Amino acid sequence: MANSKFSDVDEYGFQRPEDFDYLVYEKFMSSYLKVLTERQIRWETLKRKNTDFSKLTRTLKRYIRKGIPTSYRTEVWMKVSGAYQNQQQSPDLYSNLLRAQFDRDTVEAIKIDLPRTFPDNIHFETKKRQLFNVLIAYAHHNRDVGYCQGLNYIAGLLLIVTQKEEPTFWLLKMIVEKIVPSYHTKRMTNLIRDLAVLKELIKLKVPEVNNHIENLGLPYTVIASKWFVCLFAEVLPTETVLRIWDCVFAEGYKILFRVGITLIVAHRNVILQADDISVLAELFRNEIIKGEIATDCHNFMKNIFKVPGNLKRRDLERLRLICIDRTNC
Amino acid sequence: MATTPRGGGTAQRPNGASQNKICQFKLVLLGESAVGKSSLVLRFVKGQFHEYQESTIGAAFLTQTLCIDDTAVKFEIWDTAGQERYHSLAPMYYRGAQAAIVVYDIQNQDSFQRAKTWVKELQRQASPNIVIALAGNKADLSNSRVVEYEEAKQYAEENGLLFMETSAKTAMNVNDIFLAIAKKLPKNDGAGNQGSGQGRRLAEVEQNRQTNNCCK
Ligand SMILES: Nc1nc2c(ncn2[C@@H]2O[C@H](COP(=O)(O)OP(=O)(O)OP(=O)(O)O)[C@@H](O)[C@H]2O)c(=O)[nH]1
Ligand SMILES: [Mg+2]
Repeated sequence: MANSKFSDVDEYGFQRPEDFDYLVYEKFMSSYLKVLTERQIRWETLKRKNTDFSKLTRTLKRYIRKGIPTSYRTEVWMKVSGAYQNQQQSPDLYSNLLRAQFDRDTVEAIKIDLPRTFPDNIHFETKKRQLFNVLIAYAHHNRDVGYCQGLNYIAGLLLIVTQKEEPTFWLLKMIVEKIVPSYHTKRMTNLIRDLAVLKELIKLKVPEVNNHIENLGLPYTVIASKWFVCLFAEVLPTETVLRIWDCVFAEGYKILFRVGITLIVAHRNVILQADDISVLAELFRNEIIKGEIATDCHNFMKNIFKVPGNLKRRDLERLRLICIDRTNC
Repeated sequence: MATTPRGGGTAQRPNGASQNKICQFKLVLLGESAVGKSSLVLRFVKGQFHEYQESTIGAAFLTQTLCIDDTAVKFEIWDTAGQERYHSLAPMYYRGAQAAIVVYDIQNQDSFQRAKTWVKELQRQASPNIVIALAGNKADLSNSRVVEYEEAKQYAEENGLLFMETSAKTAMNVNDIFLAIAKKLPKNDGAGNQGSGQGRRLAEVEQNRQTNNCCK
């Protein structure tokens, strides 16, 4: 688990970048290790009580928001999202998909991305075959999506957590079809819609920030396409992404907006101080997604439920309708 | 020696006593996935090359300034995602662009065909005065080449494109292609020029952006 304070490889096998800020990280880790230990004990108690992870009770939701321990993650993700139940209904689906004849172009497209997926992860070399299998199986299972760049990062991180192809496949299917449907399809309609929704939300919550971003001329598609397509994988620090996914599998797409808004609102001042589009773009490439705020995942996860304030599903759906109309014309 | 690529992403005014003009141009990179668009940008802006450059999702934005004699030419570079499905987003990047680099991989015939399609789309949809350059990238791998230099050269001439074979890996022709574009772009005196295809002064560019970036 997370105890690699002094290593240049993190607990998930990722090589830390050369400019990695060990000081910030150590400060955060010294308190986060305590959190992890405490959560582990709490979850063991929960487990001993035979808690049904497929029912999102208030208690379970609260526990999940505070982080699922590594040892329980796969099971909880599978059950709380419904992926497990789907798998039970079609236990042979995955292996059958792998027996089929593969489409050549799809194989090509996936193969191009294999060496480009987590080259900085020391365990990943041996997982390339598994990653290929999951991506090719899914591409054939869902022809509307096929292979979409970005799924390699989602499936890759799922593999690092679950270690196995089957749960990776079922969780990927859950994300692509239920949590963020039509983000990854050939026309990416809902991705374009939700980028417009994010912009509307920023306009509502921090209008001066939206104005500034607009005036400098950095489109939200540049800022946030990868946020949504990859559900923050290969964007935010790994531990933060996993904490986000804990909540995404339990509570759904709303979490993604909460994260997006929080990232922007929490960096309001530096964004407003950027006086040029290149400075702003650099902020979104570095400090905003890799800095102290994004690294301190425990605090960050508390903040996503505070900083954006009320975010009602009904309001979001209404915004989505408005934005889909606008993007269609 | 008139060219000096400048590092960093900030918009400082290039120093140097004789500088009296700064022109800013919007440049877009287009081409199939994995032909090396991001690698060309990384080489040009940071002087680096990554063997495992990650695929671009959505688009990326970077800047770099070249100096030609007394003029600082600042490129605002929009590096797009190559996968077909991201193309619905592409028009917002090439709209209003004064320059484009359409990239193919000399080892891949399909990527050359795709480049031609991009050129057609730009000629139809982008600003009429856009300067288009064709880059046959991965020239360091010429022993597995399938697209002949002469063939691409001829196509480029017929279509009025700048053309170079490049290598982001060895840096061959990378600065040169940006420089060739910079030279071809009109650099009228700063004040008050509004015509499309012109390098505009910063303040005007800022204003125009607001109309360029509405969501489509
Ligand atoms: N040998 C060689 N390899 C290159 C060159 N340029 C890029 N590559 C490699 O080709 C792969 C793809 O390069 P990218 O720059 O990511 O390609 P891209 O066009 O930006 O791809 P997308 O973002 O998916 O559209 C990477 O592994 C690069 O290292 C080159 O000039 N020579
Ligand atoms: Mg790229």
